[in-house]
Amino acid sequence: MKHKLLGSWEIKKTNTSSGLKKVVISVTSIILGLIFAGLFVLLTGKNPLELYTEIVQSSVGSIYGLSETIVEMIPLALCSLGVSLAFRMQLWNIGAEGQFYMGAFGATYFALFFSGLPKLVLLPLMLLAGLICGGLWALIPALPKAFWNVNETISSLLLNYVAYLWIAYLVYGPWKDPKGNNFPLTKQFSDNGTIPVFGNTRISYALFLMAIIAVILFFILKYSKWGYEIRVSGSSRKAADYAGMSYIKNVLMVMFLSGAISGIAGMAEVSGVLHRLQQTISPGYGYTAILIALLARLNPISILLVSFLMGGLLVGGYSLQTSGFPSSMVSMFQGSILFFVLAGEIFNNYRLVRKKA
Amino acid sequence: MVEMRKITKEFPGILANDQVSLVVNKGEIHALLGENGAGKSTLMSVLTGLYRPDGGEIYIEGKKVEFSSPKDAVNKGIGMVHQHFKLVQPFTVAENIMLSIKGLKQIYNLKEIERQIIEQSEAFGLSIDPKAKIWQLSVGEQQRVEIIKLLLLGAKFLILDEPTAVLTPQEAKALYTTLQKMAASGKAIVIISHKMNEVMENTDSITVLRDGRSIGTVQTKTTNEIELAKMMVGRNISSTTGKTLSAKTDILMTLANVSALGDNGLLKLKNISMDIYKGEILGIAGVDGNGQKELAETVAGLRSAKQGTIAFCGKDCTKSGRKKRINLGISYVPEDRMTTGLVTDLNAYENVALKSYRKYPGAFISWDKVKHDSEQLIEKFDVRLASMSNPVKMMSGGNIQKLLLAREIDSNPKLIIAVYPMRGLDIGATDYVRRLLIGESEKGKTVLLISEDLEDILSMTDRIIVMHGGEIMGVVKPNETSREEIGLMMAGKRKVGLHEA
Amino acid sequence: MKLSKKISISTLVFVMILTLLLSGCSQTSKPAATSDQGSSQSAGQKIKVAFVYVGPVGDFGYTYAQDQGRKYLESHMKNVETTYVENIPETADCERTFTDLAQKGYNIIFGTSYGYMDYMKDVSKKFPNVVFEHCSGYKTTDNLGTYFNRDYQARYLTGMVAGKYTKSNILGFLAPFGTPEVIRNIDAFTLGAQSVNPKVQVKVVWTNSWNDPATEKTAANSLIDAGADVLAMHVDSPSFAQTAQDRGVLAIGHDSDMSKFAPNSILVGDVSNWGPYFVQVVKDVMNKTWKSSQYFGGIKDGGVIDITPFSSKVDKDFQATVTAKRQDIIDGKFVPFTGPVYDQNGNLKVKDGDKATDEMLLSINWFVKGVVGSIPKS
Repeated sequence: MKHKLLGSWEIKKTNTSSGLKKVVISVTSIILGLIFAGLFVLLTGKNPLELYTEIVQSSVGSIYGLSETIVEMIPLALCSLGVSLAFRMQLWNIGAEGQFYMGAFGATYFALFFSGLPKLVLLPLMLLAGLICGGLWALIPALPKAFWNVNETISSLLLNYVAYLWIAYLVYGPWKDPKGNNFPLTKQFSDNGTIPVFGNTRISYALFLMAIIAVILFFILKYSKWGYEIRVSGSSRKAADYAGMSYIKNVLMVMFLSGAISGIAGMAEVSGVLHRLQQTISPGYGYTAILIALLARLNPISILLVSFLMGGLLVGGYSLQTSGFPSSMVSMFQGSILFFVLAGEIFNNYRLVRKKA
Repeated sequence: MVEMRKITKEFPGILANDQVSLVVNKGEIHALLGENGAGKSTLMSVLTGLYRPDGGEIYIEGKKVEFSSPKDAVNKGIGMVHQHFKLVQPFTVAENIMLSIKGLKQIYNLKEIERQIIEQSEAFGLSIDPKAKIWQLSVGEQQRVEIIKLLLLGAKFLILDEPTAVLTPQEAKALYTTLQKMAASGKAIVIISHKMNEVMENTDSITVLRDGRSIGTVQTKTTNEIELAKMMVGRNISSTTGKTLSAKTDILMTLANVSALGDNGLLKLKNISMDIYKGEILGIAGVDGNGQKELAETVAGLRSAKQGTIAFCGKDCTKSGRKKRINLGISYVPEDRMTTGLVTDLNAYENVALKSYRKYPGAFISWDKVKHDSEQLIEKFDVRLASMSNPVKMMSGGNIQKLLLAREIDSNPKLIIAVYPMRGLDIGATDYVRRLLIGESEKGKTVLLISEDLEDILSMTDRIIVMHGGEIMGVVKPNETSREEIGLMMAGKRKVGLHEA
Repeated sequence: MKLSKKISISTLVFVMILTLLLSGCSQTSKPAATSDQGSSQSAGQKIKVAFVYVGPVGDFGYTYAQDQGRKYLESHMKNVETTYVENIPETADCERTFTDLAQKGYNIIFGTSYGYMDYMKDVSKKFPNVVFEHCSGYKTTDNLGTYFNRDYQARYLTGMVAGKYTKSNILGFLAPFGTPEVIRNIDAFTLGAQSVNPKVQVKVVWTNSWNDPATEKTAANSLIDAGADVLAMHVDSPSFAQTAQDRGVLAIGHDSDMSKFAPNSILVGDVSNWGPYFVQVVKDVMNKTWKSSQYFGGIKDGGVIDITPFSSKVDKDFQATVTAKRQDIIDGKFVPFTGPVYDQNGNLKVKDGDKATDEMLLSINWFVKGVVGSIPKS
């Protein structure tokens, strides 16, 4: 286990990790990630401090920036809550992106064809449609997983492309706005089909939805019988069978719910932000959500926090360009921070000790 | 000659080895005896380079050595056969052995390797076909492959971890014959074991470990089992359990012409018919892998019967799954504690809830109540643990089994299925489990005891069913049979006049 | 137990790597930006101008041409500071970019892609003191104007060259979306080609993206396979021309001089020269004479649209024919889309002697006779 580089120090495995230590490690990792990425910024001849300032300034430094960060946070957090539920059961649902698109599809259907309904009827209908479409989309890989143990990682991933192309078909074809000059967009949702926003911002009331779902998930996982079954099944399927838990039923339910939450995210995006369906409605929320879920250790409350940070990075990234930095630097920042956070994980399980003489 | 001097190895919170010394000479078979958790495995992991000691030195043939990786140990001629073989199932014997040969050229001569395998196997009586695929081999044969692998790697010091745990008595005997030949050819052999009779019969010297310390090394010829037992546990152990035989007649459970498939899809349980009487301890004897596990799972409701019927308390329950059988009162202590019986990532009280979580009203579990109940349970069954909030995997083997038994017994079941409940436990824990099960049967509980240890079967049960190849070979009473009779049935010889059961 | 743990850890690692790759891929990459930075509000009454591009400035096509205009603006005016952001998708995210630029004190913001239209409209309402100029759209507000060029004039001319040099009488056209701009160009190109070669057909393939070189390559190959021996396009990159050269067919450039990418294939092309217009906008804003309008400049308006020099493959006599036609357009003696113009189904769309109105050209939604292909309709 010893490495020569460490000299009189060695790495020892520890079984316990205090809460404080975890926080210290996370914070240190993020700082190291920033410094590491900063070195590259220096190489391009720019001042990294200016860039940090710019990211912070544009994402949380103004009311507008803060509001935009929250706009990005909502879909990220919802998708992340969705995948985290599946991950709890060791179901590798990589299909949040597709489930997001299908949720948007379901919601758009009602927004376009039942636009005359009153808001209080239409919005819940859209929510339900988004939830069901996202959930059913996740059930597609869940069924073969449950009954024949077909690997859900690949099947859920590939369905993302199917969902994306299905939306493409709709916006280029049957759902294209007849008055839109042939540009691939649906017509704008009627006012009844849009979620209200806070004041002058683009933050929709879907923020409440996100918070409620996070809290519900937290309590389900921590205190409910079903949450307990999910945790047991996630740790050992054999033990779940042994305890008389229905693995098949749980796989189907967890995957449905996982997809449904991402579907809600899709609904919230088209109804709360875009107000129409178009080919690209997500800059990869469903994928970033996976990172968030893992970084947050699948804890619903931490997911909200990490989503906020990631949202800030996204917003910061868009505004970097307007301040004269290459925006690809934000991708580098994300990668760099992620690398250090993952590397920092090792210190949660190991500690450096001075070798006894 | 290998010498370990004052080896100390510490894990967080545990001093696994405390200044342990061990000398193994060429040409001898040396037993490392001790209860579970005594530090045997840690000591051998230090010797094989897996762990670095915190203190102490290792000398090989008088020279001080330091291992920074298992590779270093292999280079010094140290090899180990683990309990779980490290073989690639779809590969042949020769291919598996080839994998571990260092400096293998890109273009290699499989024929040459096969020739060497045959050479080694003939020299020590380890008959093996180098072209056979691993999955086609019996456990004993796979073990031989591991030994040949070490020999081809040039091992001079062989360490075998519980080598007979998975073998039939016949295979075990053959193994020791081989080991004796190898010792005679100048190799040094260390056997990790806690089976005293085996150690007494087959080894030259014995080192006993207890609580991470070396209690002493004795010559096998000059000692006896009682002395060794004292050294191992530090107190006297009575070998009798005081079990009184009883003949029960009320039927609790009936299996009629039950067949079931194994995990590989092959028929593993063939047309089994048996009754389980209320209040008895029914023993199932047989060599591991002859359908006992499938029988236990079929009774527990984890494996569906392909044909036949099962009735519990007079009611048919053939189709009911595990959840319903739990409600019927069928407790199950599975063979595989760490992945089936318990969730080792969860903590102690979360594991206690595995059985009881459904009884809480509503959709939520009252964890305070669970904690409270668990505390009582842990006290009642004398489970030792540092904290109830630590993952179960941090507990010792004996305490893990105690926790599992505590949970299964405490739920007030009608039937307790216990599969190899004493396997891997030290003498103290074995004794505890034995008394616990007998005590439960005296309280009127029924126990289905599956074990490969004839000693346990004979001393604990009221009736014994012997299985071979997924079939029942015979039903006997412990006071009317002999080891030889059971041994013959385990080997596949059917008892005549079966229908007295 | 240990094994299953290993598996789950390796699965985890696999999943994370996958995610990194995917999220990396799905985020539109945005390479280096900006020219003269030092966005500090330094001395004087500098006017700050920002450009938002849908593609990279290095596309050597549409965005490149817009950026050439920006450079022109910078070199021709003092007290002007410009910046640009590239690869901004036509999604809700672009709203943030426009807002951000407006908040950072830019006085004039040019948005160069059709899909920005609604978002620019929304942002312009929030920043009434900032001037917005949107290229190719049709929605305006008090402080949002549009600008575009009479691309069809140059298209007609380059269509003539294509019609002259096709042997198979099949021209191939790569089109991104069925917007009026694209349809107008295809139609003008077809009419130009038919004017010298009545038998000519124009086959259209949709790429569904302004800038997707890989798809464009595939589309170009499919057109060549379908018999086209002169290719044209209305996307942003010159990748089709390289394919044409590789396959030994001819090509017509668009937006900027593409001859250097396929010197053996490119016969001629249209070229947009936005610089003078940008200068005009900035001057108007400085003089406080700027008013929201819909600018639609042609060849006669100082090169906002024109054709490139001819390749040596185009013989001198024919060069003269085309040049004469160009002069007629400048002089107003000739207007493309002069009737009779029939649509694909043979309906008379522009009566004999009539000229198409700007209104018709800006909302055109039908192919002229001779175009093979259909406009994706809802």
